[in-house]
Amino acid sequence: MPRWGMVIDLEKCTGCQACTAACQMENCRLPGEMWQDVLFYSEGEYPSGKLTWLPRPCMHCENPSCVAVCPTGAAYKAENGAVLIDWERCIGCKYCMIACPYGVRFYAEEKQKTQPDIRDVFPAKGDKVWDPPYKMPEQVQDPKHGVGVQPKNVVSKCTFCYHRTSKAPTGLKDLDPNDPATRKFTPACVVTCAPGARYFGDLDNPESNVRKLIAEKRGTRLLDQTGNRPQVYYLAGEAPVIPETRSVRKPKQSPET
Amino acid sequence: MTSATYSDALARYADFRKTPAGMDLALMVVGALTGAVGLAYVFYNLMEQGHAAFNTSSDMAWGAPIAFYLFFLLTSSGLSIVASLDSVFGLHVFYPVAKRAVFLSLICLIAGFSILALEIGRPFRMLWSLPFSFQVRSPMWWMGVLYSIDLVLLFVKFYLIHVGDWHSRLSHFVAKLSFVVCILAPGTLGLVFGMMAMRPAWYSNIMPMYFILTGFATAVSFLLFFTSLLPRDKTTAPNVDHLYHEILPRLFFVVLLAVMGMRAGQVITGLWSNYEGMEANWLELSSPFFWIEIIAGLLIPTALMVSDRIRRAPMIQFVAASLFNIGIFCARLEFLIIGQKVPLFKGYWAGYVEYWPSMTEWMLIPAGCGVFLLLYGAGNWLLRLSETEFVENGRS
Ligand code: SF4
Ligand code: SF4
Ligand code: SF4
Repeated sequence: MPRWGMVIDLEKCTGCQACTAACQMENCRLPGEMWQDVLFYSEGEYPSGKLTWLPRPCMHCENPSCVAVCPTGAAYKAENGAVLIDWERCIGCKYCMIACPYGVRFYAEEKQKTQPDIRDVFPAKGDKVWDPPYKMPEQVQDPKHGVGVQPKNVVSKCTFCYHRTSKAPTGLKDLDPNDPATRKFTPACVVTCAPGARYFGDLDNPESNVRKLIAEKRGTRLLDQTGNRPQVYYLAGEAPVIPETRSVRKPKQSPET
Repeated sequence: MTSATYSDALARYADFRKTPAGMDLALMVVGALTGAVGLAYVFYNLMEQGHAAFNTSSDMAWGAPIAFYLFFLLTSSGLSIVASLDSVFGLHVFYPVAKRAVFLSLICLIAGFSILALEIGRPFRMLWSLPFSFQVRSPMWWMGVLYSIDLVLLFVKFYLIHVGDWHSRLSHFVAKLSFVVCILAPGTLGLVFGMMAMRPAWYSNIMPMYFILTGFATAVSFLLFFTSLLPRDKTTAPNVDHLYHEILPRLFFVVLLAVMGMRAGQVITGLWSNYEGMEANWLELSSPFFWIEIIAGLLIPTALMVSDRIRRAPMIQFVAASLFNIGIFCARLEFLIIGQKVPLFKGYWAGYVEYWPSMTEWMLIPAGCGVFLLLYGAGNWLLRLSETEFVENGRS
């Protein structure tokens, strides 16, 4: 069984948010409910101001704190390395959202950021949150793995596109979007990434491209002090620091500024 | 059996043939009215909008309903601790409030669970998916287990006292067990927050202690509040009089000092620390909830309780206890906010998370308090809450 992991090359990423849009469409997310997002960081002022960004899916941690706190066992680590939610067990207590250091879990029962509320425009059938006009190819519904249009009152998150990756034949080192044989098993955000900044492969296979990239280009995990040990690695290239490791606290600790 | 004998049998347990006293009636009427208005409003909005009726969000996942839940659950444990003080430490002096404390503890716990049912996404699923998951790594799982045991023990404890069994081995055993559970349960609730290293404003190994202490403090203030409403005259037994006028207010003063000491430690640490996420403590300084807690909840009640002479007055006790309860509710809310104020991993542009409870969330207050007062008034009318062991065998 592979242990899937992702590598994101920040030198290649243009911050275009194509991955975000692809994930939204693929996984029937509500507007603003970004399983995959690009975070922006600005520092300094003109003429020396600097803008950086960071694409961020779920880290599918090796030691996921979201799984540790879940009182029902709905949050779990799947055999292929993905951290998933069983929508038929989740009680919507939201403890996992408190405990995820990377802020990648969502609860749809909230005031919508965009109006009109899309859930009223495409009202749900049955127990679902809404009835999106576009559903993922093949209309996959797999609530046990948190895939598809979600039921009400449960938490959701990136699945490493479980509906694609779990179909991959065994023994594959990498899921390469440029290889016609593996493309359809590759996560949507990786397939869509125009500059090819995202790589997806087996972290347990020493021959995989992702392993080589991590080794040769000094792959870094975010917030490693949390001990969660993400399975998503970043390549910072020449950049001295990954943006997220910079303090977001403003100088002088002034709360207003 | 005829219906008359049924009714006689029932009358041994509940004084339903007695007309409720003025205060009990007032509590029940006021409670029923505010409770009905509050519940109707909350239910209507939850039906209409689902949990979007709350202003909580994916960034502020836990808001006012959880603050309310904390308030009731911690108070419940504190009350149960007071009721067990005799069995555990031989403190007979609390006997006159023991039965009332167990009853209050029970209705606090029911109120807390009811609010949780309104807050949680799928409360009915919780009934099966939580107990049988055996998620021993989750503090919330332990919390659920411990509070469920607590609920059962409270029912048993109240039943035993109610049938006059204050001193059997079973009664003492249940009281001791309940004492242990009522330390462990709020302690575990403290761990639910205190273990979250990714939320620095909560991360603290003294959180269990803070929860147990503040729960005890609200328990004492509840007793003070409700005993200040009871009629006091020359017929009041000396030990009861001593408890109401001397012991409870003095104990309240002491716990207020302890809470202030602990809060001072938290606030100073928070303001001093440069650690990412701890700036929430600075932001807290511009929150009204924080100042209500400090001024109305801690400073004024402490000032009212300093003087031995002044704190004896039921009116003063009523005011101090009420203010403290309002303050501690705000403290619970602010506590939830500071842990989530600085968003985790959202980039610079996201800013700090803003949160103010929605009308539906505010209406949980009349809903919860109304039902609580209704139950308390009914309990006081029907269940002889002032009864103590002394009345029965004259022991002192
Ligand atoms: S990033 Fe968060 S949600 Fe994803 S596995 Fe890690 S702790 Fe869980
Ligand atoms: S919200 Fe669901 S997945 Fe998250 S901790 Fe609660 S039960 Fe588990
Ligand atoms: S792996 Fe799939 S679910 Fe996860 S961010 Fe990419 S597209 Fe979204």
